Amino acid sequence: MLFNSLDFAIFLPACFFVYWFLAHKNLRFQNLSIVVSSYFFYACWDWRFLSLILFSTLVDYGVGIGLENEANKSKRVALLWTSICVNLGFLGFFKYHNFFLENFSSAFSLFGSEIKTTSLDIILPVGISFYTFQTLRYTLYVYKRRLQPTKDFISFAAFVCFFPQLVAGPIERATNLLPQFTKKRNFDYEKAVDGMRQILWGLFKKIVIADNCAQYANLIFNNSTDYGGSTLALGALFFTFQIYGDFSGYSDIAIGTSRLFGFHLKQNFAFPYFSRDVAEFWRRWHISLSTWFRDYLYIPLGGSRGNKWQKIRNTFLVFCISGFWHGANWTFVIWGALNACYFLPLLLNNKNRKHLDTVAQGRSLPSFKEFLSILFTFGLTVFAWIFFRAENTSHAFQYIAEITSTSLFEAPKFEGMRTALTTVMLTFLFVLIEWNGRAGQYGIEHLLLRWKKPMRTAFYFTIIIGILLFGGKEHDFIYFQF
Amino acid sequence: MMKKFLKEIGFLTLPLLLTACLLEVLIQNIPNDYSHKKSYLDKNAAQIETLILGSSHSFYGLDPRFFSSKTFNGSHISQSLKYDLEILKKYEGNFKNLTAVVLPISYFSLSEKLETGIEAWRVKNYTIYYEIPTSNAYSDCSEVLSVKLSKNLYRLFSYYTKKTSAITCSQLGWGSKYKSENALDLIESGKKAAQRHSASQYQNTFDENVAVLNDLEQWCSERNVRLVLFTPPAFESYQQHLDKKQLNATVEIAQKKALANENCTYLNLLNDTRFKAKDYYDADHLSEIGAKKLSLLIDKEIANLD
Repeated sequence: MLFNSLDFAIFLPACFFVYWFLAHKNLRFQNLSIVVSSYFFYACWDWRFLSLILFSTLVDYGVGIGLENEANKSKRVALLWTSICVNLGFLGFFKYHNFFLENFSSAFSLFGSEIKTTSLDIILPVGISFYTFQTLRYTLYVYKRRLQPTKDFISFAAFVCFFPQLVAGPIERATNLLPQFTKKRNFDYEKAVDGMRQILWGLFKKIVIADNCAQYANLIFNNSTDYGGSTLALGALFFTFQIYGDFSGYSDIAIGTSRLFGFHLKQNFAFPYFSRDVAEFWRRWHISLSTWFRDYLYIPLGGSRGNKWQKIRNTFLVFCISGFWHGANWTFVIWGALNACYFLPLLLNNKNRKHLDTVAQGRSLPSFKEFLSILFTFGLTVFAWIFFRAENTSHAFQYIAEITSTSLFEAPKFEGMRTALTTVMLTFLFVLIEWNGRAGQYGIEHLLLRWKKPMRTAFYFTIIIGILLFGGKEHDFIYFQF
Repeated sequence: MMKKFLKEIGFLTLPLLLTACLLEVLIQNIPNDYSHKKSYLDKNAAQIETLILGSSHSFYGLDPRFFSSKTFNGSHISQSLKYDLEILKKYEGNFKNLTAVVLPISYFSLSEKLETGIEAWRVKNYTIYYEIPTSNAYSDCSEVLSVKLSKNLYRLFSYYTKKTSAITCSQLGWGSKYKSENALDLIESGKKAAQRHSASQYQNTFDENVAVLNDLEQWCSERNVRLVLFTPPAFESYQQHLDKKQLNATVEIAQKKALANENCTYLNLLNDTRFKAKDYYDADHLSEIGAKKLSLLIDKEIANLD
């Protein structure tokens, strides 16, 4: 069930009704209604994988309680490793089994010996990378005694499978989300209205921006040998807005939906394309994942402490593993490594925390220097996305080779150029609105608060009609595959 | 607070829902090929002697005017075998004089189905206009839910303001839009169509379609109706780019059917040299000139069977 589907438009009000009208008197009933709704939501993709979520929930619930009661250090470590092995084991098997097998076989063939391997026909359970990381984080918190484990299984199950963020995050910190399941929740009008507004904006991003850009990005990337450099560059730009509209749109819908149910999820995207350097970009892009890797990989490795070589090693490891998390393909690893190369000069010169504020705060326009920095960072990002989108490494290098040829200076040409112009204009309008709202949690948060009610209503209708009128062909959310 | 929230949501959604309902009624009232053919079959099924079914290849390629028996073309663009069978079943009590069913077995007929192809949006037409419940998706019961708003607005504007008809076929169901004077580039269209019709993985669909074809054959046999299968002619640029494996598997099935059942006959016209470049609208569709030629040819075949 996709957020941008009619099914969800029926499912959400039904859940809302059960949650606030039938189960509102009892917290356990409310949480139970979340578990049932979430399992149904997930079963709409593939009910067979519900067993994985249930197993992961049972293991981490048990491990949490075990860690609380156990004082013996080695036994605590054993419990922690149980959770790590189960969660990463699932992830490793479903996501990386074939990748390792194929690469292992290829590596041996380099030395002249052939190993016969059989790739398994494995379906990747949707959202596995997200919920395993979330439950793992819970166990790590309990292990470090930074969080009291919950004894209420229903609350814990609801925390693991909470449908707005089950399939593509945000990967919430257990310290933020779990306590919300154990406290009574009252309906808050302001929160609910804000949630609806954020859902609307998320839908606009997904249906109008991402799905329209996807049409051209797919056309150009899938037939890249037919096009010249300028068209390919345009294809990379379309993908840049597709992935942002798609994933940040999803996050907005997830956060907005949570607010309807009285929950508060952390911001996952903070206008990353307005970043002045790559370090700022990574503080603003997929914040929940970046924070996860920072907390559980980068800092334990030593972070930015240690000598120069340790810093380089840590940075490369984190970026490459983060890339690999996205998918079992070398293109993702290269994408990660490329970002590490962008980030390293800033880290080594102690400039990685230079831009912690909002760009051009209190001003309508950025300074010329800020504009150039944004443009430069954006260019680097677009370039890196080529690896992310390409089918394989040779496709990516071929794509880049054509972009860097003289055909870059020819006029772009592809099927549907005229209709693409509408998408370009809509994207430009979208960038302007996002720029205007860059100090908020999402693009239209503050914009609407300044307006009178009739204006606000007219704006809502405009967005809704925009979605219905300009909506592209329905595509799955990109991050579901991760 | 909850009341206020629900009131505001209602205030936003109610006008949208009412507009959607109004649009639905207005759009469904626009006569189209599906509603036209349904209405024709409702009234005249009892008189029909030869019924043409199938996809665009028969929609544009077979003109009932050139048949000696009372013929109706009940085909639609991308209509797959499942829908052919459903139409036969729907009117089985009404077909009192039916003696022949003409069905194209094109290169893609067994390896594709309407629901999974690029024309999947047409599925709703069978639910809405033919009242054949072939889909479980509720969006297939509504024009508003299954077609983009911009397209629906264009349809409304064309019909109610510009008075342009949405019917693209003749009274007897032949698709009359593909005129020879507007013919497309045969070389380019051949390559593209062949690529579009070549399925990389089709075994499951193939098996499903063969099972439907068996049911169609059985339906005809039980009612003593002749089943005339034919692979339509195509320009060489189309033929050159076909996947031989997919083509051979398709032709083989049709040949086997004809051999095993005396009630069934099969004509392979794919590379029939009687069809020249001027007979084509594009590399895999005939123009009105080619349609006349093919219609006379099929009619002759039916007459020979008699």
